[in-house]
Amino acid sequence: MSTETRPSSDGPLAIEALDLVRTYRTHLGVVRRRSIDVEAVRGISFEVRPGELFGLLGPNGAGKTTTIKMLTTLLLPTSGTASVMGFDLVTSTTEVRKRIGYVFGGEGGLYDRISGLDNLRFFAELYGVEPAAQRPRIDALLEMVGLTGREGEKVEGYSRGMRQRLHIARGLLHDPPVLFLDEPSLGLDPVGARELRRTIADLVAAGKTILLTTHYMFEADALCDRIAVINGGRIVASGTGADLKGAIADRGIIEIETFGVTEEAVERLRSDPDVIAVNTEDHEQSQILLIQSDRGTEITQRLIQHLGDTRIGKISAREPTLEDAYVHLIATTGDTDGSAARAAAVA
Amino acid sequence: MARAWTSVMADIHHVTHSWLFTMKLFMRSEFFILTAGVQPVIFATIAFFLFSIGGDAAGEQTLLFAALGTGMMGVWSTTLFGGGGAIAWQRWERTLELLVSAPRRYDLTLLGQTLATASFGFYSMVATLVWGVVLFGMPLSANFPLMLPLALLAAVLGMGVMAMLLATTFVLYRHANALSNLLEYPIWIATGMIVPLAVLPGWLGPISWVLVPTWGMAAIRDAAIGAEPPWLAIVMCLVLSVAYYLIARRMLVYVIDKARRDATLNLA
Repeated sequence: MSTETRPSSDGPLAIEALDLVRTYRTHLGVVRRRSIDVEAVRGISFEVRPGELFGLLGPNGAGKTTTIKMLTTLLLPTSGTASVMGFDLVTSTTEVRKRIGYVFGGEGGLYDRISGLDNLRFFAELYGVEPAAQRPRIDALLEMVGLTGREGEKVEGYSRGMRQRLHIARGLLHDPPVLFLDEPSLGLDPVGARELRRTIADLVAAGKTILLTTHYMFEADALCDRIAVINGGRIVASGTGADLKGAIADRGIIEIETFGVTEEAVERLRSDPDVIAVNTEDHEQSQILLIQSDRGTEITQRLIQHLGDTRIGKISAREPTLEDAYVHLIATTGDTDGSAARAAAVA
Repeated sequence: MARAWTSVMADIHHVTHSWLFTMKLFMRSEFFILTAGVQPVIFATIAFFLFSIGGDAAGEQTLLFAALGTGMMGVWSTTLFGGGGAIAWQRWERTLELLVSAPRRYDLTLLGQTLATASFGFYSMVATLVWGVVLFGMPLSANFPLMLPLALLAAVLGMGVMAMLLATTFVLYRHANALSNLLEYPIWIATGMIVPLAVLPGWLGPISWVLVPTWGMAAIRDAAIGAEPPWLAIVMCLVLSVAYYLIARRMLVYVIDKARRDATLNLA
């Protein structure tokens, strides 16, 4: 699968990135200091059409957040160009800022010692919302994110889910057409994450363009119109969830629950000619082996023999999911240079 | 013309909003409240003992001179600490990126924040004077009482823009606020807060004249115990404030651009 660069025929694209590169310079050593350049993003191109929910998936350090920070004007690209609603990120920074909202997950981004309402009032002013329009807008957003009645409480007393919904309200204060959501469900409990997904789906229904980064495959699969998988600073695949799953559609997944499986046993599985890939999920007391094969369940008996004396729990077979496709992509597109972010000594 | 006026009014509204918001944040900070409660007592004590050294012959004027000076020391300490801390705290809270990437000009947001620290500092001065009266029986009087509020306003503005100028370096260098502690004592001395400028070495004169707190201090003292109205000091304070703001604004454009290039905005 290749990076999509389809031209749009309906006005400007919501987001367009062309060969974006971002290099960080960092320093090593105290006495003999030397600098190294770390390439976090290595020539990313993609486009997002108005009203689309576009997902950017990738492991830690793949370049997702760096890409979002360039698109939200917080970082300057080292090379390449990008625009939001037709405005160039570097030359029309203020115009871009008027048209985007930026929401990130995890801690921070809010003033904890004051109320949610005071936070929203402050950011409404920062985002240039007319004074007379501020209160009605804030009330509407509080209603939308389900915080009506709790707005007078200090943010430090909010749950993680409430904070995240307040973040989304903050990002929407100036009614931007484009919203960047950088791992918004990070650290949320299942109920909070489900409420957040509902809010995101409502925003898309209301016509917003959203660029979402996430680690959670089911979230991307459930929400995104299109997905790009990023690894080692490059887009390694893009398309709809079905397109990505299609890459491994001819395979079956056999899940074997084991207790105390050894590395040797996993290597024996990998060396089986009918096994395409083996991934291990570590749980508290068990390990789940996810074995990809195009021979379906007919090799199950042989797999059990490979495991030798390993204690085995449940065995099941299923169709591949987006997560399987993602794991396959990341495993097969690992950085050919040996590290996700190539470092080159420059001084 | 009407458009330019609307733009100016919107900018003033934004600075006021940022000022009010930051004041509210300070009022919710136990650390700031504690500092604001304890520090004036310490400074009032310093003023009293400075006065005592002068003996009875020093008179009320000297006592007030010392009290206003120590009050101003508190203003500078609070402004310096708050101005430097404003950037560092926002880095830790991950709000700095949001402020910088907002459509509104960041220099105006920062000006509101540093003016708030200066305003909070002036509470310290008032509290120092009140404690001086309550604890040590200091006399309070002003030769030009109607000009005193004007002098105070000019001094707040001066302190605020000076903090803004310092804060621009804190945007760029995340550890720069550690250096802010080093600036506390030199400014106390060089701006005549502790001792009159006349007793300082001559070469320090030009340095004192370009420091806006010098004129803020002079304006307040002249209004309280001066023989002439403090017009010169007030005008100098305002002129230097405008100059400091323009320099800070220019520097801010450069440092934010550099922070976006070096990826240092979110590094705490």
